[in-house]
Amino acid sequence: MTYFDYGNISSMGGACSRKQERNNEDGLCRGFSRKFCKCGSLKWWTSSFSYSSMDLRIQKGECPSLLDLCIQKISEDLDRHNTFSMLPRDISQQIFNNLVYSQRLTRGSLETFRDCALQDLYLGEYAGVDDSWMDVISSQGSSLLSVDLSGSDVTDFGLTYLKDCQSLISLNLNYCDQISDHGVECISGLSNLTNLSFRRNDSLSSQGMSAFSGLVNLAKLDLERCPGIHGGIVHLQGLTKLKSLNMKWCNCITDSDMKPLSELASLTSLEISCSKVTDFGISFLRGLQKLALLNLEGCLVTSACLDSLAELPALSNLNLNRCNLSDNGCEKFSRLENLKVLNLGFNDIGDTCLAHLKGLTKLESLNLDSCKIGDEGLVNLTGHKHLICLELSDTEVGNNGLEHLSGLSSLEKINLSFTVVSDSGLRKLCGISSLKSLNLDAYQITDAGLATLTSLTGLTDLDLFGARITDVGTNYLKKFKNLRSLEICSGGLTDAGVKNIKELSSLMCLNLSQNSHLTDKTLELIAGLTGLISLNLSKSRITTAGLQHLKTLKNLRSLTLESCKVTSNDIKKFRSIHLPNLVSFRPE
Amino acid sequence: MKKEDTVKLISSDGFEFVVDKEAAMVSQTIRNMLTSPGSFAERQHGEVTFPEISTTILEKICQYFYWHLEFASGKDREFPIEPELTLELMMAANYLHT
Repeated sequence: MTYFDYGNISSMGGACSRKQERNNEDGLCRGFSRKFCKCGSLKWWTSSFSYSSMDLRIQKGECPSLLDLCIQKISEDLDRHNTFSMLPRDISQQIFNNLVYSQRLTRGSLETFRDCALQDLYLGEYAGVDDSWMDVISSQGSSLLSVDLSGSDVTDFGLTYLKDCQSLISLNLNYCDQISDHGVECISGLSNLTNLSFRRNDSLSSQGMSAFSGLVNLAKLDLERCPGIHGGIVHLQGLTKLKSLNMKWCNCITDSDMKPLSELASLTSLEISCSKVTDFGISFLRGLQKLALLNLEGCLVTSACLDSLAELPALSNLNLNRCNLSDNGCEKFSRLENLKVLNLGFNDIGDTCLAHLKGLTKLESLNLDSCKIGDEGLVNLTGHKHLICLELSDTEVGNNGLEHLSGLSSLEKINLSFTVVSDSGLRKLCGISSLKSLNLDAYQITDAGLATLTSLTGLTDLDLFGARITDVGTNYLKKFKNLRSLEICSGGLTDAGVKNIKELSSLMCLNLSQNSHLTDKTLELIAGLTGLISLNLSKSRITTAGLQHLKTLKNLRSLTLESCKVTSNDIKKFRSIHLPNLVSFRPE
Repeated sequence: MKKEDTVKLISSDGFEFVVDKEAAMVSQTIRNMLTSPGSFAERQHGEVTFPEISTTILEKICQYFYWHLEFASGKDREFPIEPELTLELMMAANYLHT
């Protein structure tokens, strides 16, 4: 299944200020910077960190292998070694990876890897990488398959070193702001490249893109946030193997840039969100028989583009969030029968439009965030037995509408935040035993509503951010043994309620911020939740003295204690002794 | 110690280490030699010769085998590696899948 839709939905909802964040599709990745934030995406917290094989083994309680121990030892005494070129490649590769992971690799120690025939150099976001590293990088010669230099200071000159690395398959130059058209020219001969990533490059122009025409094996090209590429798409015309093209946030892209794409018969994924493309531009895509994913979020398209989209036989995943759709002309949705994922959030559409989705029974994910749909519209979804994910945040849906959803036996995620659904309506959800993720972030939801949901024992994610849950309500939480993520932030909890939460041993993300009665006792209570990765207790009475209870939370990566009696230095000090995995904390 | 419970590991310079079979089988490579069907001489005689591994390194490896067993039984202490042995030891560990 694709990325953007589920990702958005899983982290959707919340107060208006938080919602704003989601306008930006990068919202997930900026979880660190949000203040009284939601837990953010659990997926992100659990997947974006790489471990060395040794750490993984130790985490699992397994014995480190002798090889791991040796690699560790070498990383520690790096200055004793002058070269690893006599080692078999797979070993020197492991040493290299370990050094990058442990942040021990420097320009000086990189020298030991000269001529090591390494295959993969993942130096993305690694501090200090610049042109002076390129000589050793290129010495890997034709062994080199994959290089990630994203976020580095490498310049056009540095890229000249890659000319001889003819085997390169994958090259990541995201956020390299010193690379321009001249640098792109240097890599134009790397015809084995299948994967090229060039995000956020202000200097890349249409002229520079002519260098891409030689990359005949390119399957995946990422040009997200490149503002100067308008007119250059024509150079991609001959790349008949191109399957995936990302031009999100390239607001220079217009209808004329769509024309060359009509030749790309292999294209399966095209993302042009937030560009200037209109219905006319979309008409050029008609011939793309394999196009399965199309992201038009924030484009100037209307329901008139549906005529063109209906001619894309493979289209299964369509993002039309924040477009200019209205009920007018939306009857053409009924032709898009193969859709599995459809995002229609933030459009001026209502129940009339929903009626035309009735036949789209293959849908697995439907996003109607902030649309004008109400209870009657939902009757059209009763036949959507494959629906896994339904986003109804900020709609006019109320208790009567939920009636129509009670038979959706595949439903795993539903977002009802900021709807008018109240306690009495929740009974209609209690039979959907497939539910895993439930967002009930709404003021009118109370303990009584929670009481009706205790049959949903499969729940893993429960968002009650603004719901008025008190200590009484926490008694019902005990039924949700599988909860990984929980948010209750309306101020009604005291330490007594946390006693019930401490039983939820699967929890990984816990947000109890804004419950101003919580004291250090809360920290003592949750000390047994050793799976916690993210914890937010902002605006509570937590003090520095309470931190000691967190010693046991060795997996903690994010700790937010804004507006508590805890200073940044207190957390830093505590982290250095007890919380080695803490990468994000507030106050910072 | 019964003979069938032990195995003899012989270094390149002919030095013999008699270790518990259980310890030696920490190495996936030795385990395969001692258990896979067929007529491996190693399997019959309980003897494995390593023409590429010196005595010093083989001794260290045997120490690791026992350290590994102790780790499994809950003893968590550091395994010391002399810096000058690291590279050679690493190659042997790689060969032995240890």
